[in-house]
Amino acid sequence: MPEVSKLKKPDVKLVLLGDMNVGKTSLLHRYTERKFKDTVSTVGGAFFLKQWGPYNISIWDTAGREQFHGLGSMYCRGAAAIILTYDVTNWQSLVELEERFLSLTDTANHDCIYAVVGNKADLTDLTAQLPQTSDLGDQTKSEESQVLSACPTPPASPVSISGVLLRKQVTHDDAVALYGRILRYKCLDEKSTLPAEKMCFETSAKTGYNVDSLFETLFDLLLPSILRKRNENQESPTVDLEDCRTSGGKRGKASCC
Amino acid sequence: MCYQCCDWFKQHRPHLVEKRDSNGLNMEGAVDSDTSSITTEEPQTEAKPSSDQVTNTETDSISNTEDAATDNSQSDSGEFVVTMLAKAKLEEQGLGVKGRSSPLLEAGTQDMPAYMSHREEDVTAESWRQHRKHVFVLSEAGKPIYSRYGSEEALSSTMGVMMALVSFVQTSDNIIRSVYSDEHTVVFLQKGPLVLVCVSCTRQSEQQLRGELMYVYYQIISMLTQASISRIFEHKKNYDLRRLLAGSEKILDGLLNLVDSDPSFLLGAVHCLPLAASLRDSLSQILQKAITSNLVFSILIAKNQLLTIVQEKTVIEDARLEPADVHLLLNLIGASSAFQAGEIWTPICLPLFNPDCYFYAYISYLDPPECTVCLLLLSTDKEAFYAVAECKRKIEEAMTAQNSLSLIDKAQSYSVSQVGVSDLRHFMYKPFDVPDNYRQLSQFTSPEMEAPYSSEEEKTRLLDLYRYMHSRIHSTSRPLKLIYHVAEKETMLAWVTSKFELYTCFSPLVTKACAITAITKLLRWIKKEEDRLFIRYPPKYSTTPNPSKSSRSSKSDQQDSTDNGFLSLL
Repeated sequence: MPEVSKLKKPDVKLVLLGDMNVGKTSLLHRYTERKFKDTVSTVGGAFFLKQWGPYNISIWDTAGREQFHGLGSMYCRGAAAIILTYDVTNWQSLVELEERFLSLTDTANHDCIYAVVGNKADLTDLTAQLPQTSDLGDQTKSEESQVLSACPTPPASPVSISGVLLRKQVTHDDAVALYGRILRYKCLDEKSTLPAEKMCFETSAKTGYNVDSLFETLFDLLLPSILRKRNENQESPTVDLEDCRTSGGKRGKASCC
Repeated sequence: MCYQCCDWFKQHRPHLVEKRDSNGLNMEGAVDSDTSSITTEEPQTEAKPSSDQVTNTETDSISNTEDAATDNSQSDSGEFVVTMLAKAKLEEQGLGVKGRSSPLLEAGTQDMPAYMSHREEDVTAESWRQHRKHVFVLSEAGKPIYSRYGSEEALSSTMGVMMALVSFVQTSDNIIRSVYSDEHTVVFLQKGPLVLVCVSCTRQSEQQLRGELMYVYYQIISMLTQASISRIFEHKKNYDLRRLLAGSEKILDGLLNLVDSDPSFLLGAVHCLPLAASLRDSLSQILQKAITSNLVFSILIAKNQLLTIVQEKTVIEDARLEPADVHLLLNLIGASSAFQAGEIWTPICLPLFNPDCYFYAYISYLDPPECTVCLLLLSTDKEAFYAVAECKRKIEEAMTAQNSLSLIDKAQSYSVSQVGVSDLRHFMYKPFDVPDNYRQLSQFTSPEMEAPYSSEEEKTRLLDLYRYMHSRIHSTSRPLKLIYHVAEKETMLAWVTSKFELYTCFSPLVTKACAITAITKLLRWIKKEEDRLFIRYPPKYSTTPNPSKSSRSSKSDQQDSTDNGFLSLL
């Protein structure tokens, strides 16, 4: 394991932002480890290097707690993609994205792409209770985790007992509207950038619903910047020995994790 | 909810001890430290009033709060408690209304990670009261910040009573330090704008309990810094600090569990993993070589024990790393280990080193997926993540080359049988005369707890005995050098000299002479094994080009605490 990870140079940077308890760590964990488990509140930020085919994508899983607010702009520096995460059962978590996290993205690349992601969709939508991907084997675990994941929702909403759905506080339209405001904040033209329908996701880290599609879509969109960056590096006189080695590896879709 | 604090404090009333703190006078005399006879009666049940009664008491007392509050001399009987209660009730109302309408509180409530079962505990239940040790943290305005068991909201009136006690005693220029009853010791600690309260039914001394509250305070400081906490409360007296601490409850819970189960906290020393001196040296050298500018501490940990620690040169001359700071770091690692594959980068303050500035900690496991060997690198530069991560690659590479991981894997704590002294069941040894450098980190050594101390209950019982011995040795009124104590199931001997502090546990039938001989043998064994048991010569490196720019004095680091963004959110 250490031999594999060493010397790898990240091609692009992706950052997960969002209020605490929306499930940023769980989303990433679902994608990389194919599992959903009880996590503890992240301290500071955690850095991961994800191998996606021949490319290395660095992912920053940041803490949503206000305590670590000061570090946010450091994590976002030079980011090529930012996932703004909220909890579909918690309106405040969407509000926080705009109030607290949007300004952190000022240090990101000017061509950074943004995704607005509503997690915990399994709590409000029946469709999200079924995993979209076929390789999920831990349905047995969902019974116990149902209780776990149901609790970090605002006490105002009805408590979910297995099977009972929670009230959805944030609709897809709300997320689309936020996406529009983000583009305006970034002074980006809505027509020339990626459409909101493509960049607003509803996911469930618990069931795996839409999680792969979120990350894979983003990675696909990042491909041009990865290639551009690699080209820039190739133009430089430095010879990257690492290149010969990694180019041998075929792009096996997400099978490397 | 209120009757509960009412009768709780009723139990404690007769022993209320106020100590004048301003001129350092310690009126210890009033305290009866002999708790050996624990009464089995349960005052809670008989004292529990019906809810009707409570309402009566409340309404009655609220009407005469004015008179009572001005009358400081009133210290007797139920009236005192009733007054306190009424006062608390008033305060709570005042705060509660304000709090509920403020968006801050709402945010706080929504953010509360409710999946922690003991946060949902019913605070009116008998089981809640029976916890060995409760710890509460509140702000000077009486706002709840943390409770070890039960949610802070549910406990706001109880905390109100605590605050009322604190301020009541304060009005006569005194500081409340503790309240004793037959079953409980209530210890108060005021630090800046925070009030920490411990309610314990263990036999621990007030001094020890206050020490534990200090750890809780330090842990909070390590997350927020002292400077920003005082600044926050200067701005807004009734700020809800939970907003900033939300999500950190597990870190505080973890700390309190460690404090209860790990004697390092009691001894104020760190426990390092026994390791052949040559291996420890080679690990230190690896750390010593992998440096980058502004790196100040490199720490290697295995199985939650220290392997080695390397410090920046100018830093080590400035100050040593205090054991308490190491404990906080170890606790942070333990609490953040859920997602172990990544590399963590987080600000952390080492309160005893400098309570007002942040370090930036890089935490990464070297042996995923087992995750037992952890590397911790501390830098003063917020932006240094990639440079520090590069140090980790170098360390990893060097350790692979030397096959260090498998060697570390073989290292383990030792059995008391290796000492070869019959009747000796367990011991804790903390030397004061660590060679070479008096600034060395305080350490102690101790074997595994084996039969008959393998069950959790028995472990706790042994630790309680050690705590009792420790409290006798370190008693403020009558400190002892040597104590031989025949307990029910074992014989304990504690001995403190200018060179070491030693606690031993023998089988019950050992004679005094036997115990003394055994200790002589034990000391000889430790002397022989010293190189393996302790970090003897902590190496140093130099990463700051300009010595005057050491992290301690650097102004730019101070800046960081203001830069962390809370103030803009006020």
